[in-house]
Amino acid sequence: MSEQSLQKAPGQALPTGKQIVIAKGDLQQIFEALGAAGYTIVGPTIHQEAIVYEEINRVDDLPIGWTDKQGPGHYRLLPRDDGRFFGYGVGPNTWKKFLYPSQLTLFRTGRNGDGFVTNSEQEVPQYAFIGARACELAAIAMQDRIFLEGAIQEPHYRARRERAFILAVNCTEPGATCFCHSMGVGPVNETGFDLALTELDDTFLIAVGSDVGADMLAGCAWRPAGTFELDKARLCLDESKKKMGRIMETTDLPGLLYDNLDHPRWDETAERCLSCMNCTLVCPTCFCVDVQDVSDLTGEQTERVRLWDSCFNPDFSYVHGGNIRPTIRSRYRQWLSHKLASWIDQFGASGCVGCGRCITWCPVGIDLTEEIAVIRGEQI
Amino acid sequence: MPRETLTDILSQNPWFQPLEPAHFEKLLAIAAINSWEDGQTIFAEGAIDDHLYLILEGRVALDKSIPGQGRVTILTLGPSEIFGWSAVVPVVGTRTATARTVGPTRVVAFDSAALRQACDDDHDLGYLVFRRLTNIIAGRLSATRLQLLDMYAGPRK
Amino acid sequence: MTATYTKNHTTAAFDGLLDPMLPQTATIKRIQQETLDTATYSLAFTDPAVAERYRFLPGQFNMLYLPGIGEVAISISSDPGQPESLLHTVREAGNVTGAMARLKKGDLIGVRGPYGSAWPVEMAENHDLILVSGGIGLAPLRSAIYHVIRHRDRYKQVTILVGARSPADLLYQEEYETWREFNIEVVITVDRADESWRGHVGVVPMMFYKLRPDPRRTIVLSCGPEIMMRFVIYEALARRIPKDKIYLSLERNMKCAVGFCGHCQYGPFFLCKEGPVLSFDRVEPFFGVEEF
Repeated sequence: MSEQSLQKAPGQALPTGKQIVIAKGDLQQIFEALGAAGYTIVGPTIHQEAIVYEEINRVDDLPIGWTDKQGPGHYRLLPRDDGRFFGYGVGPNTWKKFLYPSQLTLFRTGRNGDGFVTNSEQEVPQYAFIGARACELAAIAMQDRIFLEGAIQEPHYRARRERAFILAVNCTEPGATCFCHSMGVGPVNETGFDLALTELDDTFLIAVGSDVGADMLAGCAWRPAGTFELDKARLCLDESKKKMGRIMETTDLPGLLYDNLDHPRWDETAERCLSCMNCTLVCPTCFCVDVQDVSDLTGEQTERVRLWDSCFNPDFSYVHGGNIRPTIRSRYRQWLSHKLASWIDQFGASGCVGCGRCITWCPVGIDLTEEIAVIRGEQI
Repeated sequence: MPRETLTDILSQNPWFQPLEPAHFEKLLAIAAINSWEDGQTIFAEGAIDDHLYLILEGRVALDKSIPGQGRVTILTLGPSEIFGWSAVVPVVGTRTATARTVGPTRVVAFDSAALRQACDDDHDLGYLVFRRLTNIIAGRLSATRLQLLDMYAGPRK
Repeated sequence: MTATYTKNHTTAAFDGLLDPMLPQTATIKRIQQETLDTATYSLAFTDPAVAERYRFLPGQFNMLYLPGIGEVAISISSDPGQPESLLHTVREAGNVTGAMARLKKGDLIGVRGPYGSAWPVEMAENHDLILVSGGIGLAPLRSAIYHVIRHRDRYKQVTILVGARSPADLLYQEEYETWREFNIEVVITVDRADESWRGHVGVVPMMFYKLRPDPRRTIVLSCGPEIMMRFVIYEALARRIPKDKIYLSLERNMKCAVGFCGHCQYGPFFLCKEGPVLSFDRVEPFFGVEEF
């Protein structure tokens, strides 16, 4: 690529929707712009032999030249021979780790002379998400619906969400457990990002999604995307759709599940399921939490803490007379029928975005696409 | 009790209204009206069965005596309700509860041996009587099961 | 807790939003022991501005809060027409309710709410009403009873069936005569009693046998153990009362009361938002599904 075709154009605003091309090394410029703007950059990095989302500072922290091999209950990292920056699928972490943290103090009370004072003030971090996939953006959009679009807004989610910057990546390497295409949410990011990136051989094709996104390109040497890049990207992403590891037939899932609450498949799957909660922990849309009130030894200072919970927790649902779902069978049924059926009644769209994490991270390899296929096939 | 008055009373009762005159007469023949004051025992737990009762007015409490707990009332019944059916459908040879009046009470008492005989002689009548009894017993069983579950109790620890 | 409890939370961190998870403070004005393990607490907000603004609908609930111990969802059993006097009938059943049982008049308690759906008292105008309660289920129904009494002429025949385990477990016994004075039939029954009891003995759904409801204009409101409500539904349906005219107040454990923690879900319904009051036609697919 000739030097002449790249121009630095600080001060020239890039409109939303504009597609540009940068050299891969210039991604570091975006990182620096984000850092200068006060963002805490979080993105994929290798930790404990998996690609997780942690705070990263440099482009070198990304798992460059790595890919993942996923299957039911199976996850391995393997080296690539092409030095791709984003040549892997999604790992066990999701962005809810940052938007809806696993542990959060909601408020504190403390004695103040003769009285108690309640304090809910807290610092709100400003995150920049690097490498968010279409399934993840769909999950964030769904959690926006849950926490921001109801009669009551969740203020902690809102504060983090409003401050978040999203650099999305269009998947050119879907994994064996992926089925976002079946769920109608990917692999291409259409909206909901500040910048969306498609990795080509030597360059990144970037779509500008917002003014803030455009601002972060100020330090990059960019040129407008040409037909070559646009066609190449479209080709890769079309291929991507065909490379999905799985499909989910979504026709009338609520009807299917509500009509089959006593299907024998639930008993079979209950024999395998350990009720370990992995699926709910890695799911990007699962939102159930526990609320605990704790105090210090004197009882003078107390805190209300919100913690991730799971419907697989044996005491998740109870009444005065006892536990509602004491068996794994009923808890597994609750999770799947909520995720694919009652969620739609509640929020207008499926709770599943087809990311495949629950399949990969289930220690016994339960595959919800298979569960649905079986229930459909043997519909009572 | 003059038969005319008994006829009047029974023919106004919803139990007897739908009956054919022949069946009505057969039941009339084995029925008698008994009046009780408050707190009287119609029959005692452990007594021999010999009557089926239909309440016209008042209230009857069925009590069981439980060693260490005294008398426990397990059911009360009011107008148009039947009790003492074990006389017609014997399971245990004696009464399984004491029937005690709560307030002044009037009942129709049917001689159970005569009732069984009448049903054996006329199977159409027998079918009607036993169909009615079966409905009552089924309803009683259903309610008893709910009582058994002790649904208001707290969690089992 | 006898010290004064002042609230000083800042919402600046949340851009001016009122945080729905933060309780207001209230004083316990009176405690009335109802039965051995159940008491009614009369609460008043300490902040007059809050007391002034607070309103609730019959059937709704508040989250009552003891700092460091936790919260519990308790239905409001007072008169919606008198929101300055908030009554909550609480049975000792766990950590929070156990701690509440040790509170005294004058103590402070946190309150946030009201939450949840209400009894259909407006839709029920010009209808006959049958209210069926089992045990502590009379508490959430009482707010509807007060509303009906306050507007008695808007309702036609009103019958209340009250069931409890034994005579000692009957709630609000001193009020039944008052209710009767408002031309309301009150039928009381217990599951078991000793000889001194001169009332009915038998499960409350069986009390339907004393009634002759007109299915064209009867609405049933019921609250109690789920199995009791199952039998009530059966009796109501047997008398051809339409499914969308039978209302139940359902219960599940609640943590947040605002539809975020997920615990109170019953099929597609969050019992803190779409419930606790739901009509039977909506819950029918799930009611009675084992371990749903």
